[in-house]
Amino acid sequence: MDARTAPQVVIVGGGGTGGALAHDLALRGIRVVLVERHGLTSGTTGRHHGLFHSGARYAVNDPVSAVECIRENRILRRIAPGSFELNDGLFVALDDEDMAYRERFLPACEAAGIPVRWLTGPEARRCEPGLPDGIPGAAQVPDGTMDALRLPLRFFATALANGADIRPWTEVTGVTGSAGCVTGVRVVDRPTGRTSEIGADIVVIAAGPWAGIVGRLAGVDVSVRPSPGVLVAMRGRACNMVLNRLHASGDGDIVVPQRGLSIIGTSSWLADDPDDLGVPEDHVARMLAEGTRLLPALRDREIRAAWSAARPLIGDRGASSGRALSRTFKCFDHAVDDGVEGVVTIAGGKATTLRGMAETAADVVVRKLGLEAPCRTAETVLLPHTAFHRPAEAA
Amino acid sequence: MSTHPDTGRGADPRRRGIAGWFDPRGRRLGGWAFALNRLSGLGVLLYLYLHLVILSTLASGAGAWNDFVALASSPVVLAFDVVLLAGLLLHGLNGLRVTLMGFGLVTGHRNAMIVALVLIAALVALGGAARIFGMV
Amino acid sequence: MTTTVDPAVRAAGAATRVLRVTRTPRGAGGDGGGGDLARQHGRRGRSDGFEVPAGSARTTVLDALTWARTHLDPTLDVRHACYHASCGTCGVRTDGRAVLACVTRLADLPEGDITVEPLRNQALISDLVVDIEALYEGFDAVGMPLVRESRTVPGSRPAPGVEGLTRFEDCIECGLCVSVCPIEASDAAYEGPAVLAAAWRVVEEPRHADPERAFALVDGDQGAWRCHLATECTEVCPSGALPAEGIMHLRRGLLRHRFRVAFARLRVGANGAGEPGGTP
Repeated sequence: MDARTAPQVVIVGGGGTGGALAHDLALRGIRVVLVERHGLTSGTTGRHHGLFHSGARYAVNDPVSAVECIRENRILRRIAPGSFELNDGLFVALDDEDMAYRERFLPACEAAGIPVRWLTGPEARRCEPGLPDGIPGAAQVPDGTMDALRLPLRFFATALANGADIRPWTEVTGVTGSAGCVTGVRVVDRPTGRTSEIGADIVVIAAGPWAGIVGRLAGVDVSVRPSPGVLVAMRGRACNMVLNRLHASGDGDIVVPQRGLSIIGTSSWLADDPDDLGVPEDHVARMLAEGTRLLPALRDREIRAAWSAARPLIGDRGASSGRALSRTFKCFDHAVDDGVEGVVTIAGGKATTLRGMAETAADVVVRKLGLEAPCRTAETVLLPHTAFHRPAEAA
Repeated sequence: MSTHPDTGRGADPRRRGIAGWFDPRGRRLGGWAFALNRLSGLGVLLYLYLHLVILSTLASGAGAWNDFVALASSPVVLAFDVVLLAGLLLHGLNGLRVTLMGFGLVTGHRNAMIVALVLIAALVALGGAARIFGMV
Repeated sequence: MTTTVDPAVRAAGAATRVLRVTRTPRGAGGDGGGGDLARQHGRRGRSDGFEVPAGSARTTVLDALTWARTHLDPTLDVRHACYHASCGTCGVRTDGRAVLACVTRLADLPEGDITVEPLRNQALISDLVVDIEALYEGFDAVGMPLVRESRTVPGSRPAPGVEGLTRFEDCIECGLCVSVCPIEASDAAYEGPAVLAAAWRVVEEPRHADPERAFALVDGDQGAWRCHLATECTEVCPSGALPAEGIMHLRRGLLRHRFRVAFARLRVGANGAGEPGGTP
């Protein structure tokens, strides 16, 4: 495709979704402009605990997500080598109830294609001496830790090198075009206050829990509500493997090692304003209580930080009208939903599935543009994150 | 590595030059030792210059020299001598510390070394002060 | 200097603190040119006061800044991502000290108004956001791998099927060390403690990178030899990456390296490959 005549897509939102989508579209020869009002990954993407999913957490209750996760896990290891702590993870049984759950957990993992191995209590404690005494055992799965900023930054770096225009500190204030047809976005360059317009054949809203707010600016209805959770980082690396509780998902049932920190997560409630989440103190207490059940040593450690991150919870309207391309995320074509041409919204997903989400969203975009351009992101090794700041001449 | 010829990117126009050496806010012991070493170095250099100038008065004959010696015995100048001694000690001992650390021979006990050298310099300078003022 | 206040917060009678934040001038509307120059050349912008709620002992400088951005002044620019000292993006100076805003609690700062300024020795983009491009150029050139195999949890072993334990490097590329380094303050060409420490890590634990190349990169007047051991970098590092020690180890390594090279040359000469070394 000739660079001058290639269609232009504007992506609103500089999180993992936006970055992976920019990379995917750039590889397909589409001109991409990505705008993000603050810094890259400053929203939900940057704040998660860094869990690199094996999918085992979903094996029992959401096998479709589980299969997606393990597939993306394998692909990311291939396209982003050197960006993960790869020590596997343990689903730790602490009591009889957990051991009962095991009977559903192990076959569910196998059914989803997630490699799983049962370790006895002593075997598990040999790997992780910090686990409590006398545990019945633990299931080993290929979990890991990712760097919440630097992994997505590799997508941004590669997109940039392939000609995408990545613009942080650029805030969307409205759209251009007539009623029913969006032709671009109006933006303000925050540092200078300079306003301008960016033309687009398609505007993709990838703003996570802010998708509703951005949607209103574009004249479309995106019912996304922030569903935050609290995370607590403890000083000191107390484990190497990701430690999960072997039960149906609950609060504080995961400890993720990350550098010299141990991160306990997470909880869940509903909020209204994604910019004003708060950090409920009782949730912090719950994290500590649950986390120390998995790793008693955490009791003596200092809290490095306690913060909130908002999942984008897709509302009922979305459930019926948005095309559910997967259980984990939704893609809304507003030409269909709201009669507004030129706008698409992607919301949901997990940090681990960013590439897969982007592939499906890019397929939708490319189809809307009437093009034939296959996805190549599963085979393309990403540039290192430091390449994002390479001078243009050297890229 | 950090200055791009065209855009000047990396060259921060907000850098304050040598003034940056002496900003007190947020400075820790190592930073103070750094600043002190520069000050004492400049001070000793200034002294060296003065010393040569004064010695050159010998060329003007015994009278000029004797005048100087009389001046040099005044308490103010003696006090300067103590300051000079302290400066030489600090600069020398600090320099020793920097040499040991700078070649990776000693990497621990950073702050302990600084405290120790300041104490030694203070003690010797005090002893020296006693002798200097005692000589008058 | 104005102080912006939310009347609802005042009315609620909650405890508050005032942040005095350095701002950069914005160009008017479609112009922006004057704004650019003013920002680049650090012409003193104004200092804005923000009164923020500080009832919780946990409230951090970053919480306060983003609260001010949401409730008082949406044009405030501040960089952040992880909120737990792992991404290194939220470096600022509070009361003159370089810190990560996300782990600096208001309650731990001295009484009174809190001055918040951008980090030093890096070009300014806007308000508290500095340009990290120069720093990253250095990291990119050194090519330190993100993942290391040492300093994992003592006493633990890899699980079956896992080759070896790995974890992320300590350095989070935050630039606090660059901000406090007195040499960085006076010399833009200095490679700086962050990049030098990264080079040391490549030498100490090469993994798939090339230690010889790392040595070559830092063996210069603006490299490891430019440091004068103020050690402010190690003092300020929020991650324990020990940049000052790294530079000292680099120097020792460079010396050994040079000795080795010199002796190798001497040996070649003595083996008669060239001219005789001297009269017997």
